[in-house]
Amino acid sequence: MDFVVSQILTGLSLSSILLLVALGLAIIYGVTGVINLAHGEFVMLGAYCAWLLQSQFGWSLLASLAVIFLLVAALGWLIEIAVIRHLYDRPLDTILATWGLGVMTQQIVRLTAGGELRYVQMPPALSGSVDILGATDSAYRLFVLAVALGLFMLTWGIYRYTSFGLKLRAITQNRAIASSFGINSARAYRLTFAYGAGIAGLAGALISPLKSVSPEMGTTYVVDAFMVVVLGGVQSLVGTLASSAVLGETSGLIAYYSNDTIAKALVLVAIVIIIRFRPQGLFAPRVRA
Amino acid sequence: MSGKVSRQILLYGIVCLAILLVPVFVEDAFLLNKYARYLIFGMLAIALSLSWGYAGILNLGQATTFGIGSYCMAMFLKLKTVPIHTGSDGLPDFMVWNNVTELPWIWMPFHSMPFALLAGILVPALFAALLGWFMFGGRIAGVYAAIITLAAMVVVNLIIIDQQSYTGGFNGITDLAQFEMAGFTFDAYSASTYYLVAICLTVTLFLALAVSRSKTGLILQAVRDQEERVRFFGYDVALYKTFVFAFSAAIAGLAGMLYTIVMEFASPTFLGVPLSLSIVIWVAVGGRQSLVGAMLGAVLVTGVQGALSESEAFLETWTLVMGGLFVLIVLFMPKGMAGAFEALARRFPKAAPEGGARHATEQAPKSQPHLGGAL
Repeated sequence: MDFVVSQILTGLSLSSILLLVALGLAIIYGVTGVINLAHGEFVMLGAYCAWLLQSQFGWSLLASLAVIFLLVAALGWLIEIAVIRHLYDRPLDTILATWGLGVMTQQIVRLTAGGELRYVQMPPALSGSVDILGATDSAYRLFVLAVALGLFMLTWGIYRYTSFGLKLRAITQNRAIASSFGINSARAYRLTFAYGAGIAGLAGALISPLKSVSPEMGTTYVVDAFMVVVLGGVQSLVGTLASSAVLGETSGLIAYYSNDTIAKALVLVAIVIIIRFRPQGLFAPRVRA
Repeated sequence: MSGKVSRQILLYGIVCLAILLVPVFVEDAFLLNKYARYLIFGMLAIALSLSWGYAGILNLGQATTFGIGSYCMAMFLKLKTVPIHTGSDGLPDFMVWNNVTELPWIWMPFHSMPFALLAGILVPALFAALLGWFMFGGRIAGVYAAIITLAAMVVVNLIIIDQQSYTGGFNGITDLAQFEMAGFTFDAYSASTYYLVAICLTVTLFLALAVSRSKTGLILQAVRDQEERVRFFGYDVALYKTFVFAFSAAIAGLAGMLYTIVMEFASPTFLGVPLSLSIVIWVAVGGRQSLVGAMLGAVLVTGVQGALSESEAFLETWTLVMGGLFVLIVLFMPKGMAGAFEALARRFPKAAPEGGARHATEQAPKSQPHLGGAL
């Protein structure tokens, strides 16, 4: 029993990180159709902001979360204006442009903050552990899980129940017709991109106490996040939630029996095979033409 | 038409001749080694230009097949080394360190040179064919295909690093013998190796040109511009795409084998994300729809990078500049240097005919099927 619970908790922790990282990517891809390969760099920037605020200004991680969200979202906003908005008609080129932006971001961080590993302290209040059904889990990991779920609910709520969300859904279905009904789609895209970037920054800040922070950390996350989005179905936020749960638990389980590397390789192979037979994703009811 | 084709062949021939003549003027073995490396990158750029520029398949994992080729050659050369740290039957040193007692079956056939040379080309091609069959059979195209190639590379890279006792893990396969063939010894720092690379490059370039000029090449360009229409005409789009994907992988495999000869080792970084990204950048800079443009783009970019790499600070800034340049090229010059030259040439009506190429993703029903200019 202990083993089962702790295995589930390990998987849930992996899932929550996947969800955090994938959520921003899913929103941006779902609404604008842009694959943001600089997404991992937004995550990395969030982690560096957390490190900077903590080591230079002595802010606790929890206090700096809102600032980090706004900072990275502002960067996303600027990048959308400078680069992304020119490329909405050329989806393959957005991959390239965002990849180039990612390289630049990584290099700027390496030049300014240095290439060595950085560490962020866990908030003291959350550094203990909690007993659940006989198994122990770190309080911080549970906190991350709660935040991930909270952010998901918030995003889903915006998408489903606000007038802005309604506009987004209209644009997703048909941008031209939505625009002719007076929806400012350029602004909606820009806000979406900024929001997605902000969430990525938040993800990076939350992950930073669990992993070491380095300029290269984003690269692995962007592939993982993309796999979550593809597996879940591009148009479906709930699919993103479900697939991060499935992927997290599966990786956790395989990692228990072999090792992390094999787990990752097997999961990636499985996803590629699934995409071959279900390109619309596992959980998407329908897919945009 | 025929005048244009012969002009193109002439241009390609001149470029290749210039490359072959370099050792006449350069005697420094160290420089020749460096130039040989740039030429190998040029081959990689040709490979990507075929699949990306001509067939619209953006392969973000071109380095996968490059790395596989490189490892095939390294396995062969490793078994040729004079044993120093080896165990029984000339077991490679890193296997001894990993407590492997006998040669794994997968290494066995690499005692034979013909097998190793074939494997270096065919294994990458088969790998790509399988992946291509998977993707294109399922009508996966565009961004999805791009990301799958990226994921496939991550998988292969992880496996190579993980299986340390068979692949040397992080360290790769080092301490290799020199490549010998038909009585020649190809010292990495010599004109002979440079010629080997230059000849392979020439053959590759003209082979790729032949493919791009063949009917298959035309169909591939049609697939790039209007996939659905080609399918409606009854062509097996997946088959054509799989072919060009595998062909491009074979070129990358050959380039990988040469790279092992020139670098004298094989390492998991050969199939990493940074190299794959670099290949995409070279091709974008040179011009994705021009084979020779892509090749020269690779030589130019790596050449400048090599010249700057004397100083660490320069190199760091260089990466930043490259990233920025890349974004600008994607935004404003989707056809790269080759496209710029063509636009220049178009000002002189004799040099290039009207109605030239449009951008790949633009829907331009009125334009003629893109046949490329002189480049």
